[in-house]
Amino acid sequence: MGTLRRRRNLSDLPYRTTLAWSLLGVAAILGLGMAQAAQAKIRAIGVENQYANVIAQIGGQYVQVSAIVSNPNTDPHVFEASPSVAMEVAKAQLIVRNGLGYDTWVKKILTADFKAQRQVIVVQDLFGLPENTPNPHLWYKPGTMPKVAAAIAAALGKLDAAHRRYFNTNLKKFDASLKPWYAAIAAFKAKFGGTPVAVTEPVGDYMLEATGCQIKTPWTLQAAIMNGTDPAPQDVSIQKRLLRLHLVKVFVYNQQVTDPLTASFLHLAEKSHIPVVGVYETMPSGYSYQRWMMAEVKALRLAVTHGISTTVLK
Amino acid sequence: MLTWLAHILHWSFLDSGSVQTALLVGGSAAVVCSVIGVFTILRGYAFAGHALGDVSSAGGSASFFLGISPLVGFLGIAGIAAVSLEFLGVRRAREQDVATGIVLGAGIGLSALFLYLDTTTTSTTGAAVMVMFGSMFTFPVSLRGPAVLTAAVALAMMAILYRPLLLSMVDPELATTRGISTRWVGLLHLVTLAAAVALAALSVGAVLASALIIGPAGTAVRISRRPGLAIFLAVVLGLAAVWGGIWMAYESYYWFAGNAWPVSFFVVTIIFLSYLMSVPLQYALWRRIAKPVRMAANAGG
Repeated sequence: MGTLRRRRNLSDLPYRTTLAWSLLGVAAILGLGMAQAAQAKIRAIGVENQYANVIAQIGGQYVQVSAIVSNPNTDPHVFEASPSVAMEVAKAQLIVRNGLGYDTWVKKILTADFKAQRQVIVVQDLFGLPENTPNPHLWYKPGTMPKVAAAIAAALGKLDAAHRRYFNTNLKKFDASLKPWYAAIAAFKAKFGGTPVAVTEPVGDYMLEATGCQIKTPWTLQAAIMNGTDPAPQDVSIQKRLLRLHLVKVFVYNQQVTDPLTASFLHLAEKSHIPVVGVYETMPSGYSYQRWMMAEVKALRLAVTHGISTTVLK
Repeated sequence: MLTWLAHILHWSFLDSGSVQTALLVGGSAAVVCSVIGVFTILRGYAFAGHALGDVSSAGGSASFFLGISPLVGFLGIAGIAAVSLEFLGVRRAREQDVATGIVLGAGIGLSALFLYLDTTTTSTTGAAVMVMFGSMFTFPVSLRGPAVLTAAVALAMMAILYRPLLLSMVDPELATTRGISTRWVGLLHLVTLAAAVALAALSVGAVLASALIIGPAGTAVRISRRPGLAIFLAVVLGLAAVWGGIWMAYESYYWFAGNAWPVSFFVVTIIFLSYLMSVPLQYALWRRIAKPVRMAANAGG
């Protein structure tokens, strides 16, 4: 017993020293790498790709942006972070995330790996929204992005003071580029305010409210579909009645949160010739934030005026 | 009086398409599970039944990923697991729990993988809750036919197996001399059990499937030792639990301002309460009935 123990300790000793030295080496290389990165482009992450897009528009050539949640075929509500994603998040100098339970896993990674100089923008906190805010899809709210963009410009200015003016110029450009979207919303509201619509889940609700649409689908059904819980048969009956009896003019369908029930609603809407407008949790590929939002309002307008479906944004 | 009743019961209950499908598919599951459950308990296979339910979750989660009917997924994996249980030596009592536990672990491991693939590659939402705890109100209408057919085949199988299975349970040697292969009868029982598990997993979820299989049957076996009566009692209890659960979940919409509670919770609660009540009932029945019956039997003999 005694000899066994001594032998194990002896063989451990050189191993431990090597380990310590190699760890030191790795730390040195990492430190060097990070120092170089700081001199070059700012590493930024928009957790949801719509925020990444806005960072890229404000930061331009001085920022290297990546998005984490961007697969249009998956539901971001149930995203699972892999170790490589955790590494990427840990290395970022600027992080923009939505909050409201949409990306709690990022918060966990950031708490586990705290860095004082890292800039973190939580959209929920920018607006002081309580944790129990029922609808987390803030990017569909017309007032959201200007404030987020301003916060991004300020954060980038802190990280790279030399290009503060450049960021502010881009911020003004961004704000101006939202004007056509606001105009389209106002025009829709003036002409078609009060249009009754049905939805599957609340992803586009903020925009529908801004355009003056009346959302006829019961909130409890929207919440059940969003959270993947049991929908009440009463709510399902109400929704089916809305579609079957043509009590709504448009059916707004979330392409990223689907189940057999939403599929049956889609089928019913198509059978009743109710135009369908596809909405998304994350920015569809080939779009910028502004063009995406504009496309949604245009699709809504086409549905109301010509009864044309835009199930998928292309 | 009638308006008051209509108000209490909400007649819209039976008009809802989701409720009709739930009553039909859930009812089929209840009948099949209760019948097979009695044999499963008498053979001492309650744990195997539970394991088959857990393992079948791999099939349920794979079905979302592959885009096939969940019934097919549950049936396929439960069937494979039933056959492997038989061949891994489930018949020797000491090895039964070990083999069952190992198959169970492998199955749940697979469902962990498939649920991960579901969330990372498909737009399916709530697959984990649906597979593990069921979601009777989201059944598509297209599920009605296949579910009823599966139930009918399983019941026909039990009708054929009824006598040979009882005999090989009570007296395996006599069964062998009568030309019954106990191995085949055992295997067929497990495969039929797999079909019942698939229906149960579809209705109340993979984790709760065993509640539907051993719950009503367990209560019935406590009350009656005669297989025929026990099966009848189990079917009545099973249907009462599933249909009662569906009705209570429907009603709970009005109790909690539109936030209805899950059906599976109510079904399992009814099953549990009826089992609790069967304990005093068992003693009362045995004290009152056992004596006169025995006396009558003696007088007759």
